[in-house]
Amino acid sequence: MWNVIKSVLAAFFGVQKEARRREDFAKGRAGPFIVVGVVMGIVLVVLIALVASLAAK
Amino acid sequence: MRKRLVLMAAGTAFTGLSQGVLANGWNMPAGVTDVSREIHSLHMIIFWICVAIGIVVFGAMFYSLYRYRRSQGAKATQFHEHTTVEIIWTVIPLLILVGMAVPATATLKTMYDASEADLDVMVTGQQWRWRYDYLGEEVSFISNLATPRAQIEGSDAKDDTYLLEVDEPLVLPTGRKVRLLLTSDDVIHSWWVPDLAVKQDAVPGFVNENWVRINEPGIYRGQCAELCGRDHGFMPVVVKAVEPEQFDTWLAQRKEAAAQEAMGVDREWSREELMERGEQVYGTICASCHQPDGSGNPPTFPALAGNQALLDDREGHIDTVVNGVSGSAMPAFRSTLNPVEIAAVITYERNAWGNETGDVIQPSAMAEQLSE
Repeated sequence: MWNVIKSVLAAFFGVQKEARRREDFAKGRAGPFIVVGVVMGIVLVVLIALVASLAAK
Repeated sequence: MRKRLVLMAAGTAFTGLSQGVLANGWNMPAGVTDVSREIHSLHMIIFWICVAIGIVVFGAMFYSLYRYRRSQGAKATQFHEHTTVEIIWTVIPLLILVGMAVPATATLKTMYDASEADLDVMVTGQQWRWRYDYLGEEVSFISNLATPRAQIEGSDAKDDTYLLEVDEPLVLPTGRKVRLLLTSDDVIHSWWVPDLAVKQDAVPGFVNENWVRINEPGIYRGQCAELCGRDHGFMPVVVKAVEPEQFDTWLAQRKEAAAQEAMGVDREWSREELMERGEQVYGTICASCHQPDGSGNPPTFPALAGNQALLDDREGHIDTVVNGVSGSAMPAFRSTLNPVEIAAVITYERNAWGNETGDVIQPSAMAEQLSE
């Protein structure tokens, strides 16, 4: 689980180690990556909305 | 020695170029409001950041191309993936972007805060002129291009304010916050005055907000910035900023004149008076399409001079001016012109350029017809 989160974060940032990428494709299944990706996408949007509303004060 | 010479030459060329660009009006103006100055300094800061990045990136590229050229036996290192370098080139742009976004957002917040204005002015775009209404002051007027036809057609020399001059500028006070409410009667226009850092779309059916607080008295010129049809380049904006006391005097005078005109509705006007007023209205409103001599521009803009169908149908003529012709370029002037102006312009059209109907339309009769 933690590895999935780290890989999704790496994808958000756009930089990933080649070794980890291979490992994800060898061992992981698509389901968890999609779920974690969607959830963290929502978290990102909420975070940006929070920062924006803070800045608008 | 040679290196230093090259560097010095490059340095001189660079300073010369940047000063030339800044001094020759190629850059955006710093303007005459606090907001316009903020925008200008943001623009300059971001410009210099881009210049620095450009120098570093292209400098590294050209240096590498030259230093490690193949003729000198350079061999390319083949490698894939370098996490540290990748993180660095992601984080640095991120920091630069956030660093630019913070002050830019602060300025945007100021720009959008049109609250607590001292004066509200409604700005309405029309093909092809601007109308200004000082809300709550009963003062409104239309601002038309004042450049003589002879300059446009090329028989006279063009002056410095060619296509940037109007018969009646928008007069605004310095030091007061003026809220601009922008809309349009027909198509999308855009009210743009570079010195005020305002470029706002005027969209039919919507009211957009903007505001200015002008620091220095002066004349500031701009143009319509949204392609709006044939005379898009012929509807300039001129703002005349004056000291507050002077503005109050001007506004009081305009109010007085508007009240006078409103009173004029009730009295009997002579044919000469109507012809004189009518010629004035025709010149500012009708002439851009129907031409100063009434010859029109058929088939889109019919001729008025010698138009027998028009001259035979007085009521139809009045109806056309008051209600417009749907599906054509002829707008309704019911709400744009007052009864005196409508009566005068119709009287003028029916008696000018060899049209000799002898018809005189009284403002009082027109007012009655309009209120029906």
